[in-house]
Amino acid sequence: MIGLPSSTAGAPAQDSLESARITCDIGGTFTDVVVSELSGRTTLAKALTAPAQLFDGLLEALQRAAESLAEPVERLLGRTQLFIFSTTQATNAILERTTARTGLLCTAGFPDILVRREGGSLRPYDYSRAFPDPYIPRALTFEVPERIDVDGNVLCGLQEEAARERLLEAARLGVEALAVCLLWSTANPVHELALGALIEQELPGVPYTLSHQLNPVVREYRRASGAAIDASLKPLMQQHLPEIAAGLARHGFAGELLAASSAGGVVPIWELIERPLWSVRSGPSLAPVAGRTVAAAETGSRDVIVCDTGGTSFDVSLVRAGELVFTRETWLGEPFVGHLTGLSSVDVRSIGAGGGSIAWTDPGGLLRVGPQSAGAQPGPACYGLGGTQPTVTDAALVLGYIDPDNFLGGAMKLDAAAAAAALAPLAERLGLALQQAAHAILAVANERMISAINELTVNEGVDPRESLLLAGGGAAGLTIMPIARELGCREVLIPRAAGVLSAYGGQQSDIVRELTAPRATNSREFDYEGVAATIDGLRGRLAAFESELPRDLIGECERQWFVEVRYAHQVWDLSVPLDGDGVADEPALARLVERFHDAHERVFAVREPGQTIQMSQWKGRTCVKTSKPPLRDLERRDRCADGRAPAEQRRAFFDELGEVAIEVHRGGQLSDGAVVCGPALVVEPETTIVVYPGWRLRVTSLGNYLAESE
Amino acid sequence: MSDRPLESVPSPDEATPIAAAGSLDPTLTAVLAHRFEAIVREMTNTLFRTGRSSILNMARDFSCSIVTGDDQLLAAAEGLQVHVLGAGMQTASMRRLHPDLRPGDAFLHNDPLLGNTHTADHTILVPVIVDGEHLFTASAKAHQADCGNSAPSTYMTYAEDVYAEGGLIFPCVQVQRDYRDIDDVIRMCRRRIRVPEVWYGDYLAAVGAARIGERRLKELVGKYGVPTVRSFVAEWLDYSERSMEHAIAKLPARTLHASSRHDPIPGLPGGVEVNVTIEVDPDAGRVRFDLRENPDCIPFGLNVSRACATGGCIIALLNCLEDDVPRNAGAFRRVEVLIREGSVAGGLSEPYSASVATTNVLNRIINCAQNAFCQLGDGYGLAEGGGALGVGFAVFSGSHPRSGEPYVSEFVLGNNGGPASPHCDGWVTYAMPDCAKTIYIDSVEMLELTYPLQIRSLRMLTDSGGPGRLRGGPAAEVVYGPRSTPMRVFYMADFARNPPQGVLGGGAGRAAIAVVIDGGGVESAVEPVGDSLLLPGEWIRGVEAGGGGYGDPLERDPEQVRRDVLERWVSLEAAAETYGVVFGRDGQGLPVVDEQATSTRRAALRAARRGASGRCDAAADAECGHGSETPASRSTEGDQLIGMHIERKAP
Repeated sequence: MIGLPSSTAGAPAQDSLESARITCDIGGTFTDVVVSELSGRTTLAKALTAPAQLFDGLLEALQRAAESLAEPVERLLGRTQLFIFSTTQATNAILERTTARTGLLCTAGFPDILVRREGGSLRPYDYSRAFPDPYIPRALTFEVPERIDVDGNVLCGLQEEAARERLLEAARLGVEALAVCLLWSTANPVHELALGALIEQELPGVPYTLSHQLNPVVREYRRASGAAIDASLKPLMQQHLPEIAAGLARHGFAGELLAASSAGGVVPIWELIERPLWSVRSGPSLAPVAGRTVAAAETGSRDVIVCDTGGTSFDVSLVRAGELVFTRETWLGEPFVGHLTGLSSVDVRSIGAGGGSIAWTDPGGLLRVGPQSAGAQPGPACYGLGGTQPTVTDAALVLGYIDPDNFLGGAMKLDAAAAAAALAPLAERLGLALQQAAHAILAVANERMISAINELTVNEGVDPRESLLLAGGGAAGLTIMPIARELGCREVLIPRAAGVLSAYGGQQSDIVRELTAPRATNSREFDYEGVAATIDGLRGRLAAFESELPRDLIGECERQWFVEVRYAHQVWDLSVPLDGDGVADEPALARLVERFHDAHERVFAVREPGQTIQMSQWKGRTCVKTSKPPLRDLERRDRCADGRAPAEQRRAFFDELGEVAIEVHRGGQLSDGAVVCGPALVVEPETTIVVYPGWRLRVTSLGNYLAESE
Repeated sequence: MSDRPLESVPSPDEATPIAAAGSLDPTLTAVLAHRFEAIVREMTNTLFRTGRSSILNMARDFSCSIVTGDDQLLAAAEGLQVHVLGAGMQTASMRRLHPDLRPGDAFLHNDPLLGNTHTADHTILVPVIVDGEHLFTASAKAHQADCGNSAPSTYMTYAEDVYAEGGLIFPCVQVQRDYRDIDDVIRMCRRRIRVPEVWYGDYLAAVGAARIGERRLKELVGKYGVPTVRSFVAEWLDYSERSMEHAIAKLPARTLHASSRHDPIPGLPGGVEVNVTIEVDPDAGRVRFDLRENPDCIPFGLNVSRACATGGCIIALLNCLEDDVPRNAGAFRRVEVLIREGSVAGGLSEPYSASVATTNVLNRIINCAQNAFCQLGDGYGLAEGGGALGVGFAVFSGSHPRSGEPYVSEFVLGNNGGPASPHCDGWVTYAMPDCAKTIYIDSVEMLELTYPLQIRSLRMLTDSGGPGRLRGGPAAEVVYGPRSTPMRVFYMADFARNPPQGVLGGGAGRAAIAVVIDGGGVESAVEPVGDSLLLPGEWIRGVEAGGGGYGDPLERDPEQVRRDVLERWVSLEAAAETYGVVFGRDGQGLPVVDEQATSTRRAALRAARRGASGRCDAAADAECGHGSETPASRSTEGDQLIGMHIERKAP
């Protein structure tokens, strides 16, 4: 077991009744906790996740935080007003196939929507891998006679008797949850609603999801897939979420419990129990929330690329013009053959690249890195846990970028000789010296990350050269500067809380709820009345949501309105904001149309003036502000009077310099405004920052690190 | 902490490299290879999101690629196989016809005699010129909803020549100068293409994609400099060639031969016979495809263009290689394709039509080439994949009820089953051999929203995949019709009479059909290569073809057969009769394998096969062969089997 220290405030709390806010992110390997207090003091803690008993890992991390604050965990929880958590449990359950046995009710004649998905594959010439199973097997797919047309007319009424028989068949086959997705339920939900009522009648207690209620989008696969995933998570999340709530209550927590959603905000826990699909990939969605706030405070940047590098995956997300970027294409598993959530959620691209990624050469002699990972077990060769294949972490160790005696704050000793031994055969195959091979491994690993960043930024028309790069995650500091250089970014921000970025994002998040309603119209014959009625409907539902929130949480409510727009004959939309809360008159319409032309040109390089614009979905988002801790830094121990502690030295290899002696600084010993010029290392408990030659790193007044290329 | 990686990939190869990397920094080589693929992906995304016809913005029947200044295909990401593998031929014609290329130029190229696939594939070629030097060409090729043919279909099966085909042909014609449209050409298209607005939107999408490619390539060259990029290109193509050489070296040395026959159609009672001879030379690391033993061009639109025929052979080879080889001109140096001028298989000559060059006869070439590799023995090659361009892939047209505006596009709604391989069952969303697995599929709701039609049902059929130790992929059945205005549909379903063959004892996939259903619900089968005018209240029903099986179905793992039965891929009857698997029932009434009864039944079925003398039964032969199999006899056995099934297929 690895004992991890927590970094924290120096002095114990002066006022024991000072209210606190706690956020946690329960990941696959680590559980991160961030405690913030009104005074601005922020405390970070990490513990290993206990997969079987998630609450135990959480409690462990909470205890560590409480220890740092020199108080019992009960007292800490007792003074906590707001507790926000995110968990990868939903994501992991899907990947590990431990979700409930779920059935699908679909329109008769269309049983293979989940089998076929939307076609496509990234491996056209590969005939060695079987076609992946659908999310719900055909054996548990039940066709219900009914049909509604594109205009919402009932072409064939719901055959209740037949539907009842299907439900009994589902029960006989041991189905524990049901997804309902009928064609054109977005145009007329009457049959889905009737099936919902039938399920309650015939199979009381079996949780179900109606596709039009979860995510009313056109395109049957997207709706069906989301409904299927959602229903399959319900039994699990209906047990798991209350357990966490009860566990916290047992230890003295009496405040409000909120949970992160993939919409980049938080929602009351009952919302998540009803719509567990939102918890899928919710943790990574908080990273850009953290990035947005920290970047705005530090540099005023409005375009921010947020990278989160862990042991096994690299997540990249984007803040564009101060706003989070959303996508409707979040795949679980490989694109096209995995499963699509179909939700509009924060666009976080994830690739298998991190400290544990394995380096290898292919038959043509080309160096490749990942996506196979040594994971936490056996881990990189240098962990000494039996790993023999060279990983990115081993390469970093060979280069001298990691202090083997001070990994994870000294909690774990690394075996440099094992790392070198693992790398040697690879170096020989490449015909390179050991350190050059290690450098090549980092460069190739970086390239996969650069591709992921490029794909996300170009999709959004964001120029990396004009953006701030923000790095989080345990492995972030190792190579972020060369990545920045390749992208042309001049500035890199590494928050002090980089190691726990998502949990830190929870501290900065608001309650966000988004509702959509379909109303098709176009710019030539714009349906002013219909659109007004649609928006009125959404407004009423948003108000109802806001009124259900606990009174002491309701701060300022900010509503935003969007419409999904495209040129006539196109089928993919761009989401364009409305000014105000509707399209009242011709000038407002003209502004909307102009905004769409601009967006289309920004993203796709062409515009077509004069072409008819079609609108399909209308979207209202309410953002209920929560009170946030001030953005003060984490206090640091061992602060030196002159702001600069005597540094240690070690040897490290850089491509342009060869092996040189460099200074090693403890992050806690650098004062505000301190500057470290590369090559050098800055060591933090959760991460190590390699300051490359040609870069200078400055400690900001908020205690974060800002690196600039010279 | 982050979630687990959401990406899965093949495991590291333990093999040693064939040769050390060349003079260029190996790091930079890997970096730039990624960069070129990323540019192609960005081009692809642009075209997908902005295209106007469903065939582009849903089905993604288009491909982007980057070709070097000297006509070598460099990067093609996940482009449609048939589209991209011959891209270098088109840029060669561009250089020949336009020796004075300038920045801002763009060319419209759809001429199958000059390296294009078929007339309906409009290709936009943008030369990327840096400091006066033509370094690359960015290419975006998109299948058009309409290309001005004499009937509203982009596949003119019965066209006796290009004049009857009728589509506008642009033999690499300049369409932009100084980054602006040359309006003469645009006006020609607008006048002669049935849906000018859609065409122009799709044209803009393709130009946008090619221009984005140009922009990114210039940035890349600006960053690394011409000399570095040049040596990367040389290095990367050499690396790709080494990879191909290494992959071919793993194959046994043999000469393989196979043939296949496109279904007969009215006016062509013998169909079209296709012959492929393949010489595998592992020592030299080369493969040679000989397509010369094929009939002359025919007065139908079924002739295969050179780009398609060459691409087809490469597709078959890549499908049968164990390694993941880069798809570029470097790798293709190791492949030779011999074509006879004036032949139906790639030797297209004037005035014959290649309107259907990308699918029908081409899919026969790909199928028989990949099935020929099975002659190397069990563990090699692939069965035949379903290749029907039938009702589920029909070109449909009519007019919108209120506005009267015409519409025309192509469905990518149906599905052919993929071929079983030595490793796994046939891919489900296979589409067909020439664009296997890459093309996307339509959304029922988006089709109904965009066009005045209704889809009545769409399902995968039980027992449609060819039986085998590894099973062929399933075929889909689709039923649709117009809502309120008449709709004309053109379908081109081969594999209705000669279905996709199984190999090494595997069975054939289900054959394709086309059926019209009248207002009273009466069904009548129609010629599978033809067209129908559907009135409101009428429907058309079509089934594409299932994939062929690999190996003897009596050797299929009974547990797999049980799963197939539960999943309704295989019926209980077929499980018993074809796979010889007998089930009991568990507590829930679900089937469980009765192992005892299964081995008895399988033994009886084998005995019955042996008893059935005088019949040409590939499965029985497989069984006999397996009885006394030695490593030495293995490949011969494969040979005999293929010989058998070719005989069986002959009319």
